[in-house]
Amino acid sequence: MAVSKKTKNSPQNSKEPTVPKAVTVSGNLDGKRVSSRVLEERIQKAVAEGARTLTVVADGQHGIGGRIWPRGEKVRITVEGPSGQRLGCMGMVGTEIVLKGNASDDVGWINCGARITVLGDVTNGAHNAGAQGILYVQGSGGARCETMTKRNPRFEPLQSWYFRNVGDSFAEFKAGGIAVVCGVNSRNPKNVLGYRPCVGMVGGTVYFRGPIQGYSEVDVHLEELTPADWDWLTTHIGPFLKAVRRESYLEELTRSAADWRKLIAWTPAEKAARKGKGKPGMKDFRLQTWEAEVGPGGIFGPYIDHPRTLLPYVPTGTDRRNRPVWNNEKYLPPCAGACPSRIPSHKRASLIRQNRLEDALALVLQYSPFPGTVCGQICPNLCMDACTRGHIDKPLDIKNLGSLSLEIPAPAKARSTGRKVAVIGGGPAGLSTAWQLALDGHEIDLYEAGDKIGGKIEMCIPRERLPQEVLEKEISRFSEMGVKVHVKTPVDKKRFQKIYDEHEIVVVAVGAHQPRTIPFEGHEDVVPGIEFLKEVNFGKPRKMKGQSVVVIGAGNVGMDIACQAWSLGASRVTTVDVQKPAAFGKEMEMATSYGTEILWPKFTQKYDKKKKKLHFKDGTSVDADTVIISIGETPILDFLPASVNTVRGYIQVSDSGQTSDVKVYAIGDATRPGLVTHAIGAGRVAAEAIHAQLMQYDYMAEIKTVIPYDKVKTMYYEACRPDFSGGGLNLKKFSAEAEANKCMSCGSCRDCHMCEATCYWGAISRTEGEGGTYEYIVDPERCIGCGFCVGICPCGIWEMEENR
Amino acid sequence: MESAGQLIQSDELTYQDFPYIIEWREDRCTRCGKCTAVCPVKAIEPTVRTQRVVRSEGSTPVPTAKRITVSVVSQSRDIERYCVGCGTCSMVCPTEAIRPVYNSHHRFLIYKNKGGNAYTRGGRRNDPSPSTVEQLKFTRISMLTDPALDAGRHEFHIRTLLGRNLPPEQLPVRVEGRKLVKDAEAFIPPVREIFPIRIGSMSVGALSPHMWEGLAMGVAYLNEVEGLPVVMCTGEGGIPPRLLKSRFARYMILQIASGYFGWDEIVHAIPEMKEDPCAIEIKYGQGAKPGDGGLLMAYKVLKLIAEIRGVPQFVDLASPPTHQTKYSIEEAVAKMIQAMSMAWGFRVPVYPKISGTRTAQAVLNNLARNPYAAALCIDGEDGGTGAAYNVSMDKMGHPVASNIRDCYLDLVKQGKQNELPLIAAGGMGKSGHLAANAAAMIMLGASAVDIGKYIMQATANCLGDEYNRCNLCNTGRCPRGITTQDPKLYRRLDPDMVAQRVVDVFRVADTELKKIFAPMGRSTELPIGMSDGLSVSNREIADRLKINYAC
Repeated sequence: MAVSKKTKNSPQNSKEPTVPKAVTVSGNLDGKRVSSRVLEERIQKAVAEGARTLTVVADGQHGIGGRIWPRGEKVRITVEGPSGQRLGCMGMVGTEIVLKGNASDDVGWINCGARITVLGDVTNGAHNAGAQGILYVQGSGGARCETMTKRNPRFEPLQSWYFRNVGDSFAEFKAGGIAVVCGVNSRNPKNVLGYRPCVGMVGGTVYFRGPIQGYSEVDVHLEELTPADWDWLTTHIGPFLKAVRRESYLEELTRSAADWRKLIAWTPAEKAARKGKGKPGMKDFRLQTWEAEVGPGGIFGPYIDHPRTLLPYVPTGTDRRNRPVWNNEKYLPPCAGACPSRIPSHKRASLIRQNRLEDALALVLQYSPFPGTVCGQICPNLCMDACTRGHIDKPLDIKNLGSLSLEIPAPAKARSTGRKVAVIGGGPAGLSTAWQLALDGHEIDLYEAGDKIGGKIEMCIPRERLPQEVLEKEISRFSEMGVKVHVKTPVDKKRFQKIYDEHEIVVVAVGAHQPRTIPFEGHEDVVPGIEFLKEVNFGKPRKMKGQSVVVIGAGNVGMDIACQAWSLGASRVTTVDVQKPAAFGKEMEMATSYGTEILWPKFTQKYDKKKKKLHFKDGTSVDADTVIISIGETPILDFLPASVNTVRGYIQVSDSGQTSDVKVYAIGDATRPGLVTHAIGAGRVAAEAIHAQLMQYDYMAEIKTVIPYDKVKTMYYEACRPDFSGGGLNLKKFSAEAEANKCMSCGSCRDCHMCEATCYWGAISRTEGEGGTYEYIVDPERCIGCGFCVGICPCGIWEMEENR
Repeated sequence: MESAGQLIQSDELTYQDFPYIIEWREDRCTRCGKCTAVCPVKAIEPTVRTQRVVRSEGSTPVPTAKRITVSVVSQSRDIERYCVGCGTCSMVCPTEAIRPVYNSHHRFLIYKNKGGNAYTRGGRRNDPSPSTVEQLKFTRISMLTDPALDAGRHEFHIRTLLGRNLPPEQLPVRVEGRKLVKDAEAFIPPVREIFPIRIGSMSVGALSPHMWEGLAMGVAYLNEVEGLPVVMCTGEGGIPPRLLKSRFARYMILQIASGYFGWDEIVHAIPEMKEDPCAIEIKYGQGAKPGDGGLLMAYKVLKLIAEIRGVPQFVDLASPPTHQTKYSIEEAVAKMIQAMSMAWGFRVPVYPKISGTRTAQAVLNNLARNPYAAALCIDGEDGGTGAAYNVSMDKMGHPVASNIRDCYLDLVKQGKQNELPLIAAGGMGKSGHLAANAAAMIMLGASAVDIGKYIMQATANCLGDEYNRCNLCNTGRCPRGITTQDPKLYRRLDPDMVAQRVVDVFRVADTELKKIFAPMGRSTELPIGMSDGLSVSNREIADRLKINYAC
């Protein structure tokens, strides 16, 4: 045996070696086992002293043959007897170990280059964490061999050769090196690689020959040998067989590459690509497994009739949850909604904005014969109270707009229908319905008990509040309508019957002229308010100069009476009421400006005309030269036939004014007390129904709700600024154009194109119809139902509907 | 005349009163309208806003005023249209211009009683703080003391037994020769081996068809492709006959609740069933709303629901909080279990589900004496629901941890801890730690846990949370299409995606359970009741649950 004398590489080269180059180190001296530490020290010492061929007689010591630091020479260690665990552990390059027999666990643990030959079996964990070097096993391997092996690019790869088979959990977490399992006389004839090899293996190669029963498929794949594999195997198998003294098997083992296969790790990229491979995708599972079992369309198939496709969160067309609708004129504007005559002030404003002032002012006459008298003078203008514009500054000046219609001539009548209608009563209600019916082309006979038409407007409203020329102007326009007016024609039962027989429809508009009284002591000395007012307007007022006048009833008529009393020279006017005075507006303002005292609650006990005192139930009293009572009037209906029902003194009517006798309508104060505007409105509504009845078409009263204020976008409009020229409208000076511009056109399209411009998807367009009509339409295939058209519309035309 | 500009605002709320405030960025918004189109509650709407700017240019003050009116997206301050914070607006917004922001000092509940209507919603207890089970940790980590296992390397078999598991000496069997022979007419309780996390009861009706089928399909995939025996409970709302008659019926736990909806159809289908169902669950209570019943609103009772449930369309369907004609525990439990067992020839485990309650042990002890009782499911206060009174959800119910623990220790005293499985439900995975919560409940004594809200969140991106986000389940306007019968909404939801996500969830739960059980050396048997592996850093909880205190 050639053993070099060179000791240059020895860590302890200070001394020349003195021991023989071949030595035997025994693990048992005199029948006494030496400890692993001592045996290790002896081996290291021997090598340090130059020994290059060692025979170790082992007695179960740990880690024999490892850590022989490289000296450039081979150190050959032959182990005899029972080796302990971790033979050749941390074995180094240049070390060659031959174990003559079976090895215990962990042979070649963290092998760093030693060649270890086991002439027998290895038990568990052979070459665990091995990195370099070679392990030759003559027999088989136990469990968990070849685990955690490494591959360091600085060195040749690790080799592990097992002649027979290996046990379970082979090559777990193997990261490098080549393992060869020859499969000769496998102890498990069905499986040479044991249960579940290669779990977590990421590198290296396992060549094997013989049957296996599975491997960790997520980590490695089974392949045929390539020529390069075969070349390597056939090159390296010779030395192995020689080392384990099985040269005779060379031919059998190298007979054909087809006898061999290999397991190699998936690369990370391959692993990622393989993830979920081999398993069906969910769509395939649904179609091929799920629906194959439960039926096409899935478990709910029989119940579902919509397409099975998915929908986006923001769809168009029929899949939208909501859709916009251009609801032009669906709602009444608050002004028209508040006006009993439904005068469309918004349309008037629209026409003015279109420079059609004449048309605008004429439009009103379609609704009322008295825009100058009523709207412009005596009406409390409920329209203005309701006007949306009031939310930002002041309502439209509809009063003045009404007055502008004063000079407008009577509108053209429709072609004559030849139908005859009688109207009994020439007050506002009767005139209104006569006006409307005449416009419709019917032939009207109007019967008035007095010598003038105009009713309470004429008789009872103080001239101060209603200039005579205004009323006369409008009465004269009324006269152009061709209504046959029969003045001084009181109607009694007999005349009623005649009228009834001669006309298709009779409208009762006799007003309420029976003053209501209270039967307190001395009530017979009290003047009815309505009589008092008629006296004034007929030019025969009673004398009141210097008098104390008391008016019982502090409503608006009471206030008119108070004003008249002042103007007749009364020195003191007191109005009394049992409750908070109902008077409001202009009447109230005028009366209090004269100094009218208002007392409430006062319940009258008696009037002592002699002492000129009015006594109240609370014990107080006031001076009263004259006491006027104004607590309302009831109609005088003694002429009516039994076919016309009355309730509590008034004629019972439907919403359209029809009485229990289908030929008879009743309107105005004869049906319920109200304002002049209510009477005019009732006249118009009744005329519509009568017209329908005469012309024999189905009449459906227009049922419109008033637009909710929040639908109208007041933000577009600047509050009027009286004295700042920065774009605001001037509040102080009235002009029709300025008022028209103030109008927000609630519920009525002003054709501003805001919706068209705002629609991001270009779904809205404007189309024109015949006669200058237009509408805005939506392309459902573009619209997503976002509601921006609703949100931006100044007039509240667009609305969202559920898209069913 | 008084300017109407001074509108009375005494009944209006401020944005600060609302739980979510919309943050809208005018500079980014293109006014495309997607947000307002998609908002499920119309909490946002387009409108216009005006700016009036007075400027002076030049060297002396010369004012010019400029008005500009622009379209904007505005949040409603109507309490009936409160922003629920679902965030669908921000999801569809192409320019990240809008999002709801949680307002921690809202006063929503103070006002949400308008019209005398008590607040009802879906979701669960609005309490985002960590539940008891969430605080439990696994502190027995074996390295050198026990044979520790490696979740990545070792094979695990995470399974539990559903059904009464008789001890060997009580089994009515004897060995004759080499054969096991059952005593004549003796009853061996049916037992199923299932994955210990189940999908809890959610009915057809509560869920949309796409959601329900997605869940069922995912469960089938897990069983047939992944080899994970996950089961789901149908809830009570009818079961499509196609499913009942399919082989997939074996993955289904059929629920019977107090409304008995669809049960005539199920009974009709029994002779045609290829497979027995996994089990029958008798619902007595629900953790989210103890003492409160269910109500499927008429507008959700469309054709599909009506036919499957066997009811007329467009009527309210009430599941009362109590079963009718049951007057005592003994009678109620005995007759329901008997009746349901008989329907499938005593081959199917039948067990009751109750809401978490201090009286749970009374029920348990009754079941322990009933040979046909297969388990007890306890649904704790953190459970979810499709519809309940807010007060029931927020303030009623019992935490599941101590409830299960008490019951388990009771069983231990009787020596029946391995016999009668306990199933824990309510808030499992509430904070995202599904496997950890499940493992903790198992180690406290549960044999399995149920999930509901978690699976909706994980598989269908349910937007609900404990800050009362979304929680619109009761309205039929679920923006995700999970709890609605409106095809326009549920067609947003891809059943294949739901199924795939079910698979993902359970595969991960399986992995994570392995990770938890491996260091305890458990790979084939669940550590049920292995409470020495648990710790908590709260002395009171530790004492109450009889587990270790560690800090």
